[in-house]
Amino acid sequence: MEEKVIDIKSETEKGEREKLYFVRLNYSERVQHLILAVCFVTLIITGFMLNIPEEALMVLGSAGETVFFWRTILHRAAGTVMILVSLYHVYYLIFKPAGRRWISDMMMRGRDFKELKDTLSYYMDFKDTYPEYDRFCYKHKFEYFALYFGNMVMAVTGLLLWTESSWSKFVLDISVLIHGMEAILASLAIIVWHMYEVYLRPHKFPVDNLCFTGLIDEEEMKAEYPLHYKKIMADPELQKIYIRRKPGNE
Amino acid sequence: MPLKSDLFELIFILVLAVFPLFFSLDTVSAQPYEFRDSENCMLCHRYPTIGRFDEAGEKKIFYIDGKDYASSVHGKLNCTDCHRGLNRIPHFDLRKVDCSVKCHLHNLSTKKAFSHMEVVGKLEASVHGKGPKFELKPFPEDLPDCTYCHDNRDYYSTGRAIGRSDDQAHAATLLRSQRDVIRLCASCHEDEEKMTRHGLESIKTFKDTFHWQAIKYGVKNAPDCISCHVPTGFSSHTIRPESDLLSPLNIKNRLQTCSFGVGALTCHPDATHAFAEGRVHEYGTKAQLLTGGVNMEGRFRSLMTEQARADIAKEDLFHYRVLSAIRLIYKILIGCTIGFMFFHQLLDYRRATKKGKTFH
Repeated sequence: MEEKVIDIKSETEKGEREKLYFVRLNYSERVQHLILAVCFVTLIITGFMLNIPEEALMVLGSAGETVFFWRTILHRAAGTVMILVSLYHVYYLIFKPAGRRWISDMMMRGRDFKELKDTLSYYMDFKDTYPEYDRFCYKHKFEYFALYFGNMVMAVTGLLLWTESSWSKFVLDISVLIHGMEAILASLAIIVWHMYEVYLRPHKFPVDNLCFTGLIDEEEMKAEYPLHYKKIMADPELQKIYIRRKPGNE
Repeated sequence: MPLKSDLFELIFILVLAVFPLFFSLDTVSAQPYEFRDSENCMLCHRYPTIGRFDEAGEKKIFYIDGKDYASSVHGKLNCTDCHRGLNRIPHFDLRKVDCSVKCHLHNLSTKKAFSHMEVVGKLEASVHGKGPKFELKPFPEDLPDCTYCHDNRDYYSTGRAIGRSDDQAHAATLLRSQRDVIRLCASCHEDEEKMTRHGLESIKTFKDTFHWQAIKYGVKNAPDCISCHVPTGFSSHTIRPESDLLSPLNIKNRLQTCSFGVGALTCHPDATHAFAEGRVHEYGTKAQLLTGGVNMEGRFRSLMTEQARADIAKEDLFHYRVLSAIRLIYKILIGCTIGFMFFHQLLDYRRATKKGKTFH
């Protein structure tokens, strides 16, 4: 790893510098994401299985009972793992340097609202320039905190339902309602917001492998997160953290 | 040597003796009872196509499967023991089957003619009974008689096919499946109009409960109507109103009903009072009526409102209001959030594809 500050202007003009790759997700974050994603999909499938209409379930016949048994087991297992990985994430945010960087970059700031306004005006052709994003823009922050809040709500109501016999029916009714509604909200949000970001955006289509490699190339970094790019290029400490010379896994 | 030949002889004889059994086994075990038919009804009723369209245009099948009938609980009875008044052909003088009549069987211990009178009396005293002869409950025609539940669904080509062939008067009796129990009860209790006449609400909200979701999958341990309303030790012929102290759903008996764990069902063995004494079915018409969420027209409005006031406690109403508020908040939240997201991404896509740019 080089120690000196990379001079963006001179090097790009000469066009002789080797290609750089930027770390968006480190190893721990990628593993956390993978576990979370697998649990999330399992929970969505096993959860919404309850809403399949009676007629459609007739095809299961006598296997229905077994299916239901494993549905319950899988849902609870995935829920438990998801709670554990979320707890680990909180630990990661507090005790790991990378986690602390993550949360400080993720914090809401005044400029997020300005960025939102500017982005929307750009989308609607009122403006010609795309705002300069830092490491995380309002899209990431919105999704991250929605997940954060939703995760807590689902975990609490889920645990209440798991230990149903100890609670009053009123508490359980509220839990069932919130658990179901939040599930609809979360799955729709993931489909509309996250799936679009990683599958359907024209430069990502058909799929973005960022969650496995954790890296993006310099071109994309400059276009998408210019402010962060400039910050990295001006600071050798950040370069150590964020720049890789080779594509693929760090 | 003689020992050996003896042994062979023995085996040979044994094999010969057992051999015919292989051919006869299935016929022996499947040998049906024969219907005696001392009145010779089967002269006509053995023909599978015999039947008649009733006024509703439904074909009622008059064919009797003698072997099926003979293996049922009533298999030893003559036809006219239940179907009285069959003196003419065609049978225009047929009277409706009345289970309380005495039939020609005799109770072995008392030597008296057998009759279902006792259980009919119990049913008449229960919520499903029509009440005393001269003081009938309103709309007695809505209330079920014996044959409504113990019916012969095989004899209807369409329509009243409430469940599969089980628990019938003619065929061999098997217990109804959970879905069939629910279908049977729901055939009346989901009829909003019929229920309103009696100040009751439709039980369609049962299908919003977790109980139903398990039944949908055919989970044997999941409760149908009978499991809670007529648990072990109670009879479906003596269902009482919830306010009755002898009802398993009375608030004082609720814990015992919910924590049931004896026999095939294991329900909520570690249930607490707070858990067991809550509402099981989701809130329905009555709660909506009290909060002004439903517009009920017609002459039963006052009856329903009155009944709703008696049934839905103030606390329940508060619960209902809280749940409705949460549902509304979430609907707005989902609508706004997902709407915004969709709009945002649509704009992003438009802009990104418009100029043929690589990024945004």
